[in-house]
Amino acid sequence: MTRKQAWNIITLFCIMIFGFTIATLIKPPTARSETENRDLAQMPEISARTVLNGEFEADYEKYLTDQFVARDGWIGLKTAVERAMLRSESKDIYFAEDGYLIEKHTGSFTSDTAALNVRVLGQFAEMYQDQFGAGHMTFMVVPNAVDILRDKLPAYASPYDEEQYLAQVKETLPEGMWFDTAALLKEHSGEDIYYRTDHHWKTLAAFYVYQSWAQQQGYYVPSPEDFEIETVTDSFEGTIQSKLGIDTKKDSIELYHSKEDIFYTVQKNDGGETEYSIYDYTALDTKSKYNIFFGGNHALVRIGTRQNTGRRALVIKDSYAHCFVPFMLKEFDEIDVLDIRYYNQKLSDLIAQGEYTDLLFLYNASGFAEDTSISRLTY
Amino acid sequence: MVFSSLLFLFRFLPAVLAVYYIVPRSLRNLVLLLFSLVFYAWGEPVYIVLMLVSILVSYTGGIAVDSRKRRGDERGAKIALILSSVVSLSLLGFFKYADFVIGTVNGIAGTGMDLLHIALPIGISFYTFQTMSYTIDVYRGEAKVQKNIISFGAYVTMFPQLIAGPIVQYKTIDEQLRSRTETSVQFAEGINRFILGLGKKVLLANNAGALWNSISAMTVSEIPVATAWMGLAAYTLQIYFDFSAYSDMAIGLGHMFGFRFLENFNYPYISKSITEFWRRWHISLSTWFRDYVYIPLGGNRVSKLCHVRNILVVWLLTGIWHGASWNFVIWGVYYGILLLIEKFFLGKYLKKAPAVFQHIYCMFFVMLGWNLFVFDDMGAGLGFMRALFGGYGQGFFNQETVYLLYNNIILLVLLILGSTQLPKKLGNRICAAFSGNDTALIVIKNVFYAGIFLLSVAWLVDASFNPFLYFRF
Repeated sequence: MTRKQAWNIITLFCIMIFGFTIATLIKPPTARSETENRDLAQMPEISARTVLNGEFEADYEKYLTDQFVARDGWIGLKTAVERAMLRSESKDIYFAEDGYLIEKHTGSFTSDTAALNVRVLGQFAEMYQDQFGAGHMTFMVVPNAVDILRDKLPAYASPYDEEQYLAQVKETLPEGMWFDTAALLKEHSGEDIYYRTDHHWKTLAAFYVYQSWAQQQGYYVPSPEDFEIETVTDSFEGTIQSKLGIDTKKDSIELYHSKEDIFYTVQKNDGGETEYSIYDYTALDTKSKYNIFFGGNHALVRIGTRQNTGRRALVIKDSYAHCFVPFMLKEFDEIDVLDIRYYNQKLSDLIAQGEYTDLLFLYNASGFAEDTSISRLTY
Repeated sequence: MVFSSLLFLFRFLPAVLAVYYIVPRSLRNLVLLLFSLVFYAWGEPVYIVLMLVSILVSYTGGIAVDSRKRRGDERGAKIALILSSVVSLSLLGFFKYADFVIGTVNGIAGTGMDLLHIALPIGISFYTFQTMSYTIDVYRGEAKVQKNIISFGAYVTMFPQLIAGPIVQYKTIDEQLRSRTETSVQFAEGINRFILGLGKKVLLANNAGALWNSISAMTVSEIPVATAWMGLAAYTLQIYFDFSAYSDMAIGLGHMFGFRFLENFNYPYISKSITEFWRRWHISLSTWFRDYVYIPLGGNRVSKLCHVRNILVVWLLTGIWHGASWNFVIWGVYYGILLLIEKFFLGKYLKKAPAVFQHIYCMFFVMLGWNLFVFDDMGAGLGFMRALFGGYGQGFFNQETVYLLYNNIILLVLLILGSTQLPKKLGNRICAAFSGNDTALIVIKNVFYAGIFLLSVAWLVDASFNPFLYFRF
């Protein structure tokens, strides 16, 4: 190596290490990553105790990683290289056909939490089965895209078969409470029933499931003609895309507005302001456009209608229910939408006071299997 | 702290380089010492006390041995050496092996002694061996005594080789500690070597490790033969690329500060016999055991029986050096026996066999060795071995095998080619082709190395799978 070569190498290396060092030092910390949809780590507080037990050091490294300059660009670069290496997945996400990004959920269904949640759900159903009576308790755990869109997965991919797990859930419930959505969704697997870039199902999928459930319950069975379908965006990039940081086919979000005028009020959490729409259009200006439904997760949302059906429903749910609940408005006088993950009071008190006639439990499969607050159902 | 982290690349390294080159030459060892202490203390500050004790023990040991030798007091020198070695080994023994011994005694005698649950101080096996080699060499007259505690401390704690080797024997860098000249060419060579190591670790070893992890996480009784071998191959490649990457980074960083450490790996997977493999794998460790155990025991200049004993002792110790658990003991003895078989019986036939056969033979036993090495739990290790040989009746391959293979084929090919001398030859070819054209060479080299560096940063920013494999050593 000549001295000239050497100095070139040294100069470039120093530019890189000192350059990024200075850049990371002067860049003001970002509180939140819009793309990744999460709060970023901040500079940890330093004290003798946290330094000695290693807490400060660990937090500082998290902070440095989260706050690194051009974070999204680096992550996108990595994913692009992985795709160039002919890899058909990255970070447990399949690059599936038609621009679908599909999460594998490796290990979600075989964990201790997954097994515990099945047991707790069974206990919960038995606790309340006499109170609600036959036909008034419905449990839907909706399979994820990885299960329904198997045909779109990369060749020879063999993720965990979610239906094995769902069979356990069905098994644990008293007769007649399980509502199978897998078969129905599979019939429609050629349609746009899951987002390409997000972990949710699309409104169309919720519509099909509602149709089928309404039929079982003896409610009015709606047809697509009963709705004005509004496409509110076609530039939605959801949570899965965020993890990969690459450009992909974007998603559209559809709202199904009933042509029949149904008056309702919405009250988020106790004492919240009364609103007159389920939809929060301001969410469209953010990254998390799925929050157009209910403006995201709330512990308890009370919806009141003037339908005079005599039915009052409690929906215990995760965010899969957000695009499902609008279809229920026609059939209930009151719908309480409860998110047990954020609800800090005793569920048994709520059920005792709520004079509910019906209970709907609606989760997505991986969300249910991973959820650590399911055990609060029996409190 | 580990090299393959944003913290090291964009906080520690720039800081130590800047301070090191700003201060006057006479303070440079002090700078290295202080920064190395921070490097070691990061995340686990308590054990710095242990390391300082270890430094003091061998420092005073060295002086004591030396002064007695000067007085012609051989016996006194020997006592000083034994004292210092016993203290060093006791520290290593207590912090690394106490729970292993208690657990084993409990298992055999059925006693119920409580485990001490001592967290293993990172790098203790490496630095204990370094400090011991120093006092022994002073006693043997092979190394000069180091009376400057700062220089000696800088040697023991030197962050490039502190936590994952290579094991630098004092005598090999004594001169460099006293006076060294850093040059731009050496610095640039160090940069290239470091970046190569960083890329090997972050881009290759970690990805191989991810493949191994996904296969080892499967239910072992459901793994078909081909998947099991793919997994073991992935681990075989991971441990080589990871470990040799650490040595590359250590040697490269050493260069940046004007040091020349000896090579630690020399393409071990191109070996044609187990004997050759161990001449190419973790050379600094094998050398240490040869110089400080094997030869003092008499080496091969003793009766055949004693020779066999010497080999077995060395390999038992080599095994247990890698971790306080039975699988490492068995792994060491496994190699001891293989080496004995080659030495006394198989070697001469092997040499006559076709080269291809020799390679297959060697890699087969090396891979089975890694199978023993990687599972702490012997039951799990034997279970995986059973899968390798189709013991669960899962057939040769399944859908998942095909998926894993085509997803990782480019990676595996790169890794396999990368463990031969091919990339080096290719690099030399390119350099030769452009010799005389300095500008072209500069551009090619800079694009290549900067590319690897930036890609490694991308993987680190994404906080991808990035294990540290040597915390058991």
